[in-house]
Formats: sequence, structure tokens, C-alpha cells
Amino acid sequence: MRRRAFLKLMGLAALFHQWLLRNVAAAEGPVVVVASGKDHAQITRNAIAALGGMQRFVKSGDVVVVKPNMGWDRSPEQAANTNPVVVRTVVEEALKAGARKVKVFDRTCNDDRRCYVNSGMVAALKGMKNVELKYIENERFKKVDLKGKVLDEWELYDEALNADVFINVPVAKHHQLTKVTLGLKNVMGVMGGKRGAIHKKIDEALTDVNRVLKSHLVLVDATRVLVAHGPQGGSLEDVKYLHKVIASTDIVAADAYATTLFGHRPDEIAVTVAAHRRGLGEMDLKKIRIVKA
Amino acid sequence: MKRPSTARLSQWLFLLIFVVLFVKTEYRGSDTISAAINSFFRADPLVLASYLAANRSFTWLLFPALLMLGFTLLLGRFFCGWICPLGTVLDLVTGRIRKTVPLSFLKGNLKYYLLLPLLSAALFQVNLAGILDPLAILVRALTFFLYPLFGNTLRGGWVGLYRLIGEHRDLLEPGFNVVRSNLLPFRETFYPLAFLSALLFFGILFLERYETRNWCRNLCPLGTVLGIFSRFSPFKRLPGRLCGDCSNCRSVCPTSFERDELLQEECVLCLECLKGCEKGRARFAWKPSATLSAGFVPQRRVLLGGMVSGFLLSGLFRFRRPEAEARLLRPPGVRSEDEFLKKCVRCGECLKVCLTGALYPAIDQAGIEGVYTPVVTPRLGYCEFNCTLCGQVCPTAAIPSLPVAEKRRAVIGKAVLDKNHCLPFARRSNCIVCEEHCPIPQKAIRSEIVEALDLEGKPVRLQQPYVVEELCNGCGICENVCPLEGKSGIEVFAVKDRTPLKPFAVATPEARRSDSEAGAFEETEGRRESKVRGGEKKHPKEGGALKAGGAAQDTADPYGSDAYR
Repeated sequence: MRRRAFLKLMGLAALFHQWLLRNVAAAEGPVVVVASGKDHAQITRNAIAALGGMQRFVKSGDVVVVKPNMGWDRSPEQAANTNPVVVRTVVEEALKAGARKVKVFDRTCNDDRRCYVNSGMVAALKGMKNVELKYIENERFKKVDLKGKVLDEWELYDEALNADVFINVPVAKHHQLTKVTLGLKNVMGVMGGKRGAIHKKIDEALTDVNRVLKSHLVLVDATRVLVAHGPQGGSLEDVKYLHKVIASTDIVAADAYATTLFGHRPDEIAVTVAAHRRGLGEMDLKKIRIVKA
Repeated sequence: MKRPSTARLSQWLFLLIFVVLFVKTEYRGSDTISAAINSFFRADPLVLASYLAANRSFTWLLFPALLMLGFTLLLGRFFCGWICPLGTVLDLVTGRIRKTVPLSFLKGNLKYYLLLPLLSAALFQVNLAGILDPLAILVRALTFFLYPLFGNTLRGGWVGLYRLIGEHRDLLEPGFNVVRSNLLPFRETFYPLAFLSALLFFGILFLERYETRNWCRNLCPLGTVLGIFSRFSPFKRLPGRLCGDCSNCRSVCPTSFERDELLQEECVLCLECLKGCEKGRARFAWKPSATLSAGFVPQRRVLLGGMVSGFLLSGLFRFRRPEAEARLLRPPGVRSEDEFLKKCVRCGECLKVCLTGALYPAIDQAGIEGVYTPVVTPRLGYCEFNCTLCGQVCPTAAIPSLPVAEKRRAVIGKAVLDKNHCLPFARRSNCIVCEEHCPIPQKAIRSEIVEALDLEGKPVRLQQPYVVEELCNGCGICENVCPLEGKSGIEVFAVKDRTPLKPFAVATPEARRSDSEAGAFEETEGRRESKVRGGEKKHPKEGGALKAGGAAQDTADPYGSDAYR
């Protein structure tokens, strides 16, 4: 955790909860905020506030990218895409913090138009000023030198690369290959080319990408999660309501905590393990400071 | 500038409607298309005639065509002079094309020799009328050739602008957005047979070198059908021949004054002769006549000749290469190939509307008789699970218009793995992209976990996919997304038995909408964990994974077998 961020958090914590200060000071590791409640907009705001508020990340005049998962032609209650209420709230907070522009996009798996509409994102962001919900345009993918373990280079989306702030808003869900898909994997949505090919060594490949494209803030939508037949689902039998939003500046820590919601341990998830091993963040839950909000 | 005549205004209006409907035949955010260009085809008597001949049954979809025939019986070929968009295009360009002399070989009975074989072949179950239908010719020229070219050019410019000025392009975005979301095709798809479609269309324009409305009066099978009916029309231009002291009519009339006598069946009611008559003699009036002016047309000889050639025609192109037929995947909901061929007009609308660009015109997959009929080509585009657009725009219900729940269960084909290509088998590396994309809620593609040695001899845990045939609807997304280059590791093959899948016995938003959120949560929570584990670990051959699917069905039965609707 960065020193300034840490100090800010301590200061803030001091303001609100005298007792929290001691606990935060005691822990060296990253902070993961777990906000619970049935009002999904409110818990999203709470989670951001507990991390120090959006103004900690977004400065006036910034261009902010909010990257939800909206890759599937599924409706919000089917839990294959990020909850549009959560996304809308994040966008609102970013605007309030002074963002000049907020861009929301995802490279979809089904038809772009159907995904954008049926994920509920078009309706959720309708009429908001300075918010762009655009389809991916292929010419915007830029070859980036990743110098990674398995990917030397890959095409990444320029709007994600150029953003002042990149906010990663995955939905927590089951995935047949990686067991769960969370923040680290959500970054696949800015990858161009035949990205399915990285499934061969997906753990190292995702780490390669996440090392270059850093998420400044991760908000895992676990308001409702898909517990089987992921990442696409389709049956409401597979949907479980958890009413939680998990927030952190440490993508590995956020993923590690969210993993536990599925009854897995973080060290069972190869993607998390690889990212932790290569210094992207903390996965040891004992070293993570969990703050309820 | 002269004030355009009423007929002209009507032509322009219908051309505009035609173009607007064409552009609107695309997914633009709504699951239903309220009006598509199929309105034109549904009012097309040639489509009706060939449909009746081939299917020996009537469909109310084509009721407008019946009306059109009725009005033609009453008024004559007003369709050609007031509505037909191809005719309008010809009228728009013909003024700029210098004329030589009419081609004599086009005269006489040629048009009957085009129409009659088409219709009689339809009697013998080969419905080729759409190939020469003027509306279909126009739509195909637009869909396969002009529109993709237009879209690709504009978008190419837009992309080029990005290469030039990068992010600054965003300033122009609002302007381009208007064009993009209202005019451009969402995807640029280039089609096979674009060349043939363009050739036919521009060939018709080229014929204008010889005389005005050359196609319409000498070839068009739709015009010929309408012409036969218009002979009985009591609404006539008078006088019925050129006046001795003036032959202005010959120069102003686009179709009917080849000879001194007016050819009633060619008159398109453009009313140009009224404007051109200096003596004020030309008029249109109701004048029922008991006898026909020029004997029986087509003559018996032509009629018989046409019928016989149709019979012969129906046998010429039926051969199908089995290896091509194996991949002859028809749009969702098409159950029987024969029935489909009898109904399909080859208008190209389904191809135009297809969300992912999955439909392509057949070249020879269905034999030459099947040319231009739509074929799902999964490597290029897949059938989108929740989309029902192709059925909605089909003018003859060759592709049935199904509610989304039924469409999802409609079988296009069945996916088959090729273990010589598929990564977890051939290269012993993990992938499961196909399983991930399979849209069936219980997954028609699943995987078993296998401990194996990779090609370097190191132990590896592989997820090897397999297809649950009873659940596969052949949508082809697996084949489409397979990350292998060139040939896919999984491919969809045609099947004869396209009985729809059983209703998915799982709760979907449609079925559950009335239930409370919390209730749904409580009910499913406990059961889930074990099911996940079970599905993941068991070997399919032990029946474990298949049973897991079965169990899911059992547990959800309380919602009823048609819960999916």
C-alpha cells in the first residue's frame, strides 16, 4: 500500500471511528472493504467512501475508464454481467469527484449491441452527461510490449491505456477454467486479438496484462453472483444473492477476498496465485485488513 | 422545373420507403423489427404465385400480394409505374442513357418463356422465382454488394481518420454516431455472389441502352404476371391506338407503344401520355370489354412449351455434393430442407438482418437449385441465442417466426469435436473457450478433468470438452470462437432430425419475473454447492455429468415443463 494512501486512510478512519485507527495502524497489509446491504447503490458508495472516497483516485479534469463486465447477452438478474446499478453509482461518484469524462466499455463475447442493451448498461447510463458508453472500435487496439512471462506483446485498448484512472468493476462469478472470474480476469475485456488463445496459460497471461494495465481501484460486484455454469450462466438457479460490494486498491487482495465467497481459498485460484507471486498484490487473507462498511 | 406527376411522386415515396425499410432491417436495440422490407415481398404476386405452385397451400403472410393482384385486375400494372423500386431506379437513370434500337430477340414470347418455366418448375418443387424477382434482385444487389461497400468505405474513412489524428477524432464522434447508428450496417460483411448480384442489377440498367424500361416490358417475370392480369382490367387508356395525325404518345410512353396499337398489358399507368397530349384526346376511363384485344396470350404453344421447360428445369440442378451438404446449416426453426426450398424467396432479408453475420447465400451447398438461399456459416458468425430477427423478416415464413423461447431450442445442427485439432486433445493444453461461450444454461459443451502428461512429459490437469448432443442447438458459437486459426476444433454439422430441444428445465428471468428475489435466492442456495462439485469432477462415461444435468431438470420441474416461456 502506498504511504500516502495509507496515511489518508488512517486520517479518515480516525475521523469516523476512533477504534479503527488502532486496528489499521496495527496491520501493514492492504485494505479490502466489504460493504453489505440490499441497497446496491448505497453499498457501492459506502465501499468507495471507506477507501477514502472517490476523490482519492479521481482528480478534477481526469478521464476515467470504468470497466464493467458486460460481455454476455444476459439480463441483470442472470448475473453474468456487472450489476448496472453498481456501475452507475461508480460513474456518478467519478463525476462528482470531478472527472472530465467517464468512459464505459467492454469487448463483448456476444453481439455488442445486445450485450450493451440487455446487460442493462444502456438504460442505467442513459442521459448522463460526460459519460460515454461506446462499442469497442477495433482500430483502437494498440500493440503493447508486455515483456511478460507468456505474452511478449498483445493488443490492448487505447482508451484503457490512456485513461487517467482505470476503475475495474468485475462481477464475481464462477468460471469453468479459472474457477472464479474477478478483477484480474475482467481485464481481458480490453484485450484485442484472439484472446481465447491465452486460456492455455491463463494465470501467467493475465498477470502479464495486469502488470502493464494497472487498476487504480477495484470494485467487485458481488451483489448477486453466478455459482455455476459460469461465466455465462443463464439459469436463475445458478444465481445467488450476496448483496456485497468489495473494494480495494489492491487487485489481488480484492480477488482473494471475493474468492472466499465461493467457498474457495485464494491459493486454489491459479490466476490469483500467479499475480501474487509476481508482486501484483497480497493474497494472504491474514495480511489483508478487511473493513466492513 | 416541371412539377413532377403524381405517379412520379408516388414512385419516389415508395423508393424512399423501400430504402428506409432496407436500412431499418437491422438490430437497433430492440428484439423486434416492426416493419421490414418484407412488406414489399409480401405484396409481391410473383412470390405468391410461386409459393402457391410449390407449396399448394396459401399463407396469410402473402395476403397483401393477393390484394395487389385484385387491384391489378381492376386497374392494370400500376405497381410497375407507381410502386416498384426497381422501376423507379430505371426511370431515374434512363434519361441519361442514350438509346440505340430495341433488341429484337427480347421481343415476342421471351418473357413468357422466363415466367412459365419458373412457375412450372415450382409445381415440381423447385421454386426459383426469387432469382428473377425484381424486388429480390434489387435487395440482393443492395445487401450483397452496394451496402457493404458503402458501409466499408465510410467506416474505412473513419478508421483512417483515427490513424491520422488519433484521439482527436472523438470531437467528430457525435456527427459520425448519427450516421453510424442510423445508416451504416453494424458489421461489414462481404458476401459471396456479390458479383453475380451486382451483375444482374447492372445488367438490367445496361439494358436501358436499347429502350426505356427494357427489363420491365420484355423480361420481368413479376411484370409479366401483372401484365396477364392487367389484360382484364376495365380501366383503359383511350384511344387505344396512336392517332393518325399525331404520334406523340410513342415518344412519351415508356412501355406500351411499340406498335401503333397500345399494349394494354405493358401499360404501367404512368400517365405521361396525358401530359404529352397536345390535343387533349388521351384519357383514362372505365371501359369494360367482353373480348380480349389480342387473342389468348400466352399462346397455347408457349404455355405448353413453358410448362415442359419448367419440368425439365426442375431436374437440371438437383445434384448435391454430400460433403457440402454436411455443412448445409439452415437458419433456426427450419425443420425440413424440402419445405424450406419451396418457400424461400432468396430475397436476402435474413442475411441482411442477421445480427452476427452468420447467414451467407449458398453457392452450391444446396445444389445449384439452392443458390442464394441462406446458410449459417459458423466460422464467420454464429446464431445469437436470444435473437429471433431472421424469422421476423422472412416474407414467406420459410424461416418461421418463433418466440424467443422456442427459437433457443430450435436445432440448426449438432456440434462435433475434432480431437485432432482441439487444443486439450491435440496439444494437451487447456482452453474451454467453446464451453465458456455455449449459451445453453446447462451447457451443451462440458468438460471432464483428466490427469495427463503434456507433450513435454510433465503432468498436467486438462479440461477436455465433450458435447452433450441432446442439449446442442447447433448455434455455432463454439465453432466461431474456437481460438485455433483456420479450421476450428469444433464444428457444427447438419442433421436431418431437427426436433427442437426439450424445454430447458431451468428458471429464467422470463419464468421467474413474478417471483421475489429473496425467495429465489433461498430456494437455490442450499442445493447449489453439491451440484457444482458433482458436475466438475465426475467422468461423463460414468454418467455423472449427464446425471447432473438430469438432476437439474428434476429439481426444477415444479416450474413446469414450459417454464422457459
